[in-house]
Amino acid sequence: MSGRRRLVQVTTVLALAGAGIAGYLTYVHYTGTRIACPTGSCETVQSSSYALLGPFPVALLGLLAYIAILTGLLLPNAVKWTVVLATSLSGSIFSAYLFAVQALELHAFCTWCLASDILITALAALSATALFTDEPRRQGSSRNGLAS
Amino acid sequence: MAQRSRRSRALVLAVGAALFVGLALIGTSRLAAETDPPARQKAPTSPLLGGIPQDRSALGHPDAPVTLVEYADLQCPYCAQWTLGTLPHLVREYVGTGKLRIEFRGLAFIGPDSDKALRAALAAARQDRLWNVVELLYANQGPENSAWASEELIDRIANSVPGLDVKRFNADRRLEALDTDIAKAQAQAQASGVRGTPAFELGATGSTPETLEVTSLAPDEFAAAIEALLGR
Repeated sequence: MSGRRRLVQVTTVLALAGAGIAGYLTYVHYTGTRIACPTGSCETVQSSSYALLGPFPVALLGLLAYIAILTGLLLPNAVKWTVVLATSLSGSIFSAYLFAVQALELHAFCTWCLASDILITALAALSATALFTDEPRRQGSSRNGLAS
Repeated sequence: MAQRSRRSRALVLAVGAALFVGLALIGTSRLAAETDPPARQKAPTSPLLGGIPQDRSALGHPDAPVTLVEYADLQCPYCAQWTLGTLPHLVREYVGTGKLRIEFRGLAFIGPDSDKALRAALAAARQDRLWNVVELLYANQGPENSAWASEELIDRIANSVPGLDVKRFNADRRLEALDTDIAKAQAQAQASGVRGTPAFELGATGSTPETLEVTSLAPDEFAAAIEALLGR
């Protein structure tokens, strides 16, 4: 299996895991279901005003970002990693801000959010790696000495 | 060479777009956090509590067969949701009919506004009007630690509670004894394993209540648990 294909697979798995987490938090928001939380602070974070962007929960935004990443993976190679990097890096920047809010303003951490922060940051790192990794040399091109 | 240039362009494009979107999201979030949700500010207060007996932090007839204990932080939006959405149903069906009494145990873990609002509620409890103040505080709740529990708001609330001696209320808010009340509720919450708010306990009045696990804050599960204790 080529390294590039493996990158696509790992990215898909991480984005699916992120979509699962964001989907769960969105479900909790809209149904008013009690959140399962190992640290006990998830509710504090999820019920704070920072968990909303206008009328929409931040979790829904996260879900859309993970879906955008999964959709991006289906795009042609020329733009695939650019789209995935742009989306995951936007998510990482916003996640870093939300992490600071949890640490400095709410003094509470939501485990689900931290897991999502790690996933989106890993996705940004993976897509940056993919963007900088050379395409595998195609046999014909290699023979002709045309591959860069 | 061409590929390197293509990669550089892709990188600049991706990082530029990410910075733009990321910073726009942060800006929107800051703006949203600093602006009071308008729906909250306009939340009407109901004449729900009129005629229902209150004793310190308890709402309802002292002889009601079932007691519901609520642990809440006055800054917690879900607590507001429960009080403004589900409590009216429980008051109509059970408290008003003498079947249920509800005890408020206030926690102040979110921040300074929690403490300020809680002290107002506890001062009102000394005049058996805690629930009126709690309802009005929730109806006017702002974003966490945005200084929404201002002197101006508390004064406005105090003046709108029928029968509350505002001068005494303002003096009571500074009482050291309130620290003891707050510490006691916190100790009870810890002993009960409360890990978030709102949290509930339910039991026959006079017995040790048991944790009430609910999957949603809608009235149904509360009603079912109360009905079960009432022996229906």
